[in-house]
Amino acid sequence: MIHFKNVVKRFGDRTILKGISFDLDEGEILFILGTSGTGKSVLLKTIVGLLRSDEGEIYIDHQEVTKLSEADFAPIRKKCGMVFQHPALFDSMTIFDNVAFGLRKHFKMSEAEIKVKVRNALTMVHLTGIENKYPSEISYGMQKRVSLARTVAIVPRVLLFDEPTTGLDPVTTNAVNMLIRDLSHTLGATSIVVSHDMACALAIANKIIVLDQGNIVAQGTPQEILQCRVPLVEDFLIEVKNDSQLL
Amino acid sequence: MTPNSFSHYILNIFSEIGSLILFLKEVLITSIKYPSSRQQILEQIWQVTMQSVSTTSMAGFFVGAIMAIQFAMQMSEFGAIGYLGGLTTSGTIREVGPLLIAFLLSGKIGAYTSAELGTMRVTEQIDAIRCLGANPIQELIVPRFIAIVISSFFLLGAGLIMSVFGGALMGYLFAGVSYEQYVRYIPSLITLPSIISGTFKSFVFAFILGSICTYQGYKTTGGAKGVGRSVVNTAVLTMMCIVVADWITSTLSDLILKMITETIH
Amino acid sequence: MDVASPSLELKNVDVHFRGEPILSAINLQIQPGERVSIIGPSGQGKSVLLKTLAGLIIPTRGHVFIQGCDWHHTPKDTKIPLLKNLGMLFQKNALFDSLSCGENIAFPLREVNHLPEEDIQKLVAYFLEAVAIPHAKNLYPDEISGGMQKRLGIARALALDPQILFYDDPTAGLDPITSRKIVDLICELQKKKNSTLVAITNDMNRAYQMSDRILMVVDQAVLEAGSPQSIRSNQDPRIQQFINGKLSGPLTVMA
Repeated sequence: MIHFKNVVKRFGDRTILKGISFDLDEGEILFILGTSGTGKSVLLKTIVGLLRSDEGEIYIDHQEVTKLSEADFAPIRKKCGMVFQHPALFDSMTIFDNVAFGLRKHFKMSEAEIKVKVRNALTMVHLTGIENKYPSEISYGMQKRVSLARTVAIVPRVLLFDEPTTGLDPVTTNAVNMLIRDLSHTLGATSIVVSHDMACALAIANKIIVLDQGNIVAQGTPQEILQCRVPLVEDFLIEVKNDSQLL
Repeated sequence: MTPNSFSHYILNIFSEIGSLILFLKEVLITSIKYPSSRQQILEQIWQVTMQSVSTTSMAGFFVGAIMAIQFAMQMSEFGAIGYLGGLTTSGTIREVGPLLIAFLLSGKIGAYTSAELGTMRVTEQIDAIRCLGANPIQELIVPRFIAIVISSFFLLGAGLIMSVFGGALMGYLFAGVSYEQYVRYIPSLITLPSIISGTFKSFVFAFILGSICTYQGYKTTGGAKGVGRSVVNTAVLTMMCIVVADWITSTLSDLILKMITETIH
Repeated sequence: MDVASPSLELKNVDVHFRGEPILSAINLQIQPGERVSIIGPSGQGKSVLLKTLAGLIIPTRGHVFIQGCDWHHTPKDTKIPLLKNLGMLFQKNALFDSLSCGENIAFPLREVNHLPEEDIQKLVAYFLEAVAIPHAKNLYPDEISGGMQKRLGIARALALDPQILFYDDPTAGLDPITSRKIVDLICELQKKKNSTLVAITNDMNRAYQMSDRILMVVDQAVLEAGSPQSIRSNQDPRIQQFINGKLSGPLTVMA
């Protein structure tokens, strides 16, 4: 479903991604872990064309995307839903209009259809009765769920999450992780999660990649990662024993 | 400042100007190829006008008052006090009005727009718009740009009307000019060239303001601090550019007027 | 300073914001040299508790004692010498952008302690070394990474040699590896000076790593959750739900 081949990304004279290659099959969940500032978010953004790679190829559903124009990217973005680190809701719109935004832009749908889809999406994240509120009137946790609903409303085949649990307390972290797992399964979507949370990765990922300074230092199934002897990976695993009872 | 950092500084200025021009080109192309919804533009015009109409009116009132006092002192010496209203108003429409409204707008709408767009940028709302299949230039930039240009005409009008009131009040209080006398020569002294020059200036200033504040907001990087930086840049750059543009347009319109009068005589 | 008195004490403290009660009837003592972390769901008043303890928020009712001094009922002049004993690291670091990293540390030393320049430079070098960023001396805060900014913030707070240190989520947004290193550093420096440490954190692993005692702020109250070793056997269902991240329980999830 998603295929990276030697992808390189530079900002000025700094190389952020130094030749990234991996394969992800349909319906799999991939976790990308790494310390802050190693290019995890950059990698995610190259998939939907928010950033363009400088070298290499990226295939989404067998289509090479690195050379597409902004306009030609529209059909790719219809397939890929991205959830940002912050809720990134549109302040001037109601919750309903926020969730309906992608439906209105991507598809030619009647308002009646949109209404049904918005309600479905909000139900998926366990929210009801807040359609007419504005983002500033609901709590941060709710905003986070609305942003998930906005992304899943377009029923994407690929779900991308950028540090969905960074800075959240343990209960909320767990709730978000459960939502990611459930949404991926309900939609049958291929998911990529950029995260710091090794415990969660081990519990719900099919595949884990550990990035360091723009290189992949370890890649494999959760079992393989648990056996991995790369120092950075071991560092990530130290506290997992404490955490593993979470899930 | 070492020579090296100085050349770096100059280079920076040029690359900023270059990317501003590219940005404007993108805005222009988008506005033609993918027109923004009329509703969005109207909403923005309404917002901008409503946000600033009270301040511009108040400022217009006092500008009229100040100009009338200044003119009254000199004109009474020449016994031309009857022309007070006409001269004050024509001066306001040609020069002070557009400049003042541009300054007020850059403080209010310019800062507001760059802060709003900058916040949307750093909280990834602009990325979200792209991911959800929409074009942020079409959705955000074009409506705001058009709104700033169009509203500035409305606000110029509002400011001018209030300046007549302000001037008339001062004329009555300090120079004994009746209201009727004050407005009598306004129509004959406000010539077509002065109206054209006033509206043209107002358009140029609004265009400058629109380009700088949307550009600064849209290109914001670096979190909350970055938003602050964009707002300050917008304020400083618009004021500077507007003053320079005022000088250029004044010189130009003066030249053109001279040429016209010479060809007539 | 009375040796027997606790470092920090709240007596019957209420804090209201715009008429809304945030904390009610709080009684709390923190002893000198103790390491305390504050946990709890977001929006329940962790920061309010920290700022109240630090004397930055005037409570609606009750008394705040800092090193035995009734903080909000003491004239300013008497408090000035005590102020030097308090250090605070804010969540956003609050570094001075216009000063180099070295100057960020030197500035409070010059302003507060009026030391000779030679000593100041020695201290700057020592603390940059202590937080492992000696190379950043002449760089500006926006030229170094988020983790390094945190270290610089810690160095600046520590340079004044405070007896009580407050940290507002010192590892917010950082990856676990960097977080662990920063907390190691915080603990190491705490040990050297045997200072009192009060820190907010959202990460249970950090709470276990840096505290003798864990407090949880929930429902306007401050719960004594116990030590990192004993917290798992705490009977309060709210604490159990929180530290295990369970979705079902008395705490509402993501509301």
